[in-house]
Amino acid sequence: MAYSVPRKFPTTIVGSYPKMPQALEAIKKRKSGEISEEEFKEIVKPAIREVVEDYLWAGVDIISDGEQAREDMVVYFAERMRGYSIGDWVRVFDNEYFRKPIVIGRVEWISPMTLDHWLYTTSISQDRPVKGILTGPYTMMEWSFDLYYRDRRELIIDLAKVIRREVEELIKAGAQYIQVDEPALSTRPWREDAELLKEALDIIFKGLEAKRIIHICFGRLERIIPYILDYPVDQFDLEMKNSNFRLLPYLKEYGFNKELAFGVVDVHSFQVESIREIEEAIDTVMRADIVNPEKAYVKPDCGLKRLPRDIARAKLKNMVEAARRAREKY
Amino acid sequence: MRVWGSVLGGYARSRFVRRVLRDFERGLVAFSDLERSIVEASSVIIGAQVSAGLAYVVDGLLDWHDIFRSFVSSWRNVTPTGLLRYFDNNFFYRIPLFTGEPEATRLVWPPRVRLYSRLSEPSGFKVVIPGPFTFTSMSINASKASFGELASSIARLLESEVRGAVESGASMIQIDEPILSDPDIKKDDAIMAVELINSIIRDIKGVKTILSVYFDVPSSSVYEVLLNSRVDCLSLDIIDAPKRALDLILGRGFGGHCGVLGLINARTIYDDDISRLEDIFGSIIKGYSGEEIGLTTSTWLDLIPYDYSLRKTKLLGLLVERIARSFNLEHVWRVS
Repeated sequence: MAYSVPRKFPTTIVGSYPKMPQALEAIKKRKSGEISEEEFKEIVKPAIREVVEDYLWAGVDIISDGEQAREDMVVYFAERMRGYSIGDWVRVFDNEYFRKPIVIGRVEWISPMTLDHWLYTTSISQDRPVKGILTGPYTMMEWSFDLYYRDRRELIIDLAKVIRREVEELIKAGAQYIQVDEPALSTRPWREDAELLKEALDIIFKGLEAKRIIHICFGRLERIIPYILDYPVDQFDLEMKNSNFRLLPYLKEYGFNKELAFGVVDVHSFQVESIREIEEAIDTVMRADIVNPEKAYVKPDCGLKRLPRDIARAKLKNMVEAARRAREKY
Repeated sequence: MRVWGSVLGGYARSRFVRRVLRDFERGLVAFSDLERSIVEASSVIIGAQVSAGLAYVVDGLLDWHDIFRSFVSSWRNVTPTGLLRYFDNNFFYRIPLFTGEPEATRLVWPPRVRLYSRLSEPSGFKVVIPGPFTFTSMSINASKASFGELASSIARLLESEVRGAVESGASMIQIDEPILSDPDIKKDDAIMAVELINSIIRDIKGVKTILSVYFDVPSSSVYEVLLNSRVDCLSLDIIDAPKRALDLILGRGFGGHCGVLGLINARTIYDDDISRLEDIFGSIIKGYSGEEIGLTTSTWLDLIPYDYSLRKTKLLGLLVERIARSFNLEHVWRVS
C-alpha cells in the first residue's frame, strides 16, 4: 500500500545526511581509481540504506538518499557531465578541501547522474516518496571556475539544459518531487542574478509533472524576494531557524502564495532542538499567516551533512514529533 | 608618485601543507615538525612575493583555518563553534562564541613577525588582523556584554597585537573589515567600526596602516564614514564590481588617504587582463592627488588552488611594473 504523506505539515529533509564510513571509503576509492563508477554505485548503497533507516526510524515523510555518493554538491555533478575538468584543491573549511571544478568546454549531459541511487532509495523507502535532488545551475556556475564560456548567461543556460535532462530521467522513473538546490543565490542577492536563475529554472521545470521545489539557504534572501516569488516552482524550501524566521515578514509583504518548506532545526548547531522548541518554530510560521497547514512542510534548515549522525537523528526525531503535534493543533 | 604592490592576505595551502596539517591532526607528526613545515612553506610564499617585486609581503597565514581562528585560539572566553558561510564564498568559517570578556593568553603576531620579517627583506612585512567590527558581527555574543562592549574588548586585544607586531618589526598593519561592504551596513555601524579601528592604531607610528574592505564595494554613506578613519591607506575591492567601485572612487576620492586598489581578481583562476586593469587604473589616477598608491588582490589568495595563488602573485607583480612604466610612476619594490 502506498505511503500516505500527511495532508498537513508533511516532514521532509533538504537532502544531505552525515556521511557513513562506507560512503567515505567508496568516494576515496573511486577518486584514487581503485574502483569503477559502477562499483562505486554499488558500494555506496549500504550507506544509503543506513540513512534511509534513520529517516524511517525518525518518521520523516519525504526522504532522500542522504547524498551519500556526493563528495561535494558541485563536484559530484561536474564529474559526471561533459565540459568540466576537475580542478585542484580549494579549502572549504578548516583543513577540508574540495576540488573546485573548472568549465573547460561546452557542458553537456552524458548519462543519468542520480537515477541509480534514487531508484535504490525508492526501493527501500517503504513507499515513502524520495526527492530527486540536483544542484542548481546558478550554484554550479558560481562554485566552479569558468575558462570556457566567460559569459555567465550562456553557461547557466547550458547547465540548465543538462539538469533538465537529468530531471526528465528522474520523472520517467517515477519521481514526484524534484528539488533544485541553489545555496549560492542568497550569497549574491542581486536582482540580475535572481532573474538569470529564473531564466534557467524555466528551462528546468517547464511542463513537468512533479512537485517542483527550489531550496535556498542562508545569506540575504530578503533582498531578492520580490524577484524570485514568480519562479516556476510549486514550493520554496527555505532556511528559517538559523536566521530566526527573519524572512517571514518579507514573504508576507510580497504576497507569497506557494508551498513553503521551512527550516525548524539549525544544521549549524550541535544542540538538539526540543520538541517544544520546534513546535514554537511551527507556531511562529503559522502566526505569520503566510501559508495554511496544507502548504506548510516541516524540515531542517539545510542538509545535515555537517552534523554527527546521532545529533542528526535526534533532530529529525524531534522534528517529526513536533509536526505530529502541530497536525493536532492546526 | 610612487606605486607599490602587496597581496591582500592569506594564501592557499600546498599539498605538502595540507598533508602535514592532516598528519598533525591525526597525531602522526609532532607540533615542532608541523611548525617547521609551515615555516618552510611560508618561506616559499614570501619568496614568491619578494621575487614578484611586491613591496610588502605576507607570510601566507597557512596555519590559520579562517581569519578569526588564531585569535580565538589565543584568547580566553571564546571558542570556535559551528560552521557558517564566509560571505559569498563556498568557504565556511567557525563562528566564534564569546562567553565572557575575551582575554589574551598569548599574542599571535609578534612571534610571526620576528620569524618572518627578516626573511621578507628587502620587502616590508605586512600584518593582517580582522577588524573588530567584522569580528564581533560574525561571532555569537553569549557574554553579558553589549555588542559595543564586546567589540571594544576585541579592539583592545587587537591593539596589543598590533603594538607587539610593530615592536617586532612589522612594516605594515592591515585591518580587514569585509563586512563593511555588506549593503545592510548602516552609517552608525561604520562610525563604530572606524572608532574601533582608530583606537587600535592610535599609538602606532612609523608603519603604514590600512583599512581593507572587500568582497564588494561599500555603500557611499558607509564609505563617507571610512574616509574619516585615521589609517594611512584605504583598500577597496575594485574588480568584484568595477563600475560601482569606480563611481565611488571618482565621486568621493580617497579623502587624503593613500588608495590601495584590489585589481587582481583573487577568486578566479584565469589570467587577469592587464590592459583592462591599466584602463581602470588610468581612470582612477586622473583625479588622484596622493603621493603613493598601492595595488593588491581583490581578496586573500586562499579561495583558489595553490598554483594559481602563486600565479596571481606574479600577475600582481607584473601589473605593478606595467602601471609604473605606463604612467611614469616610481615603482617601490623594497622597503627595508
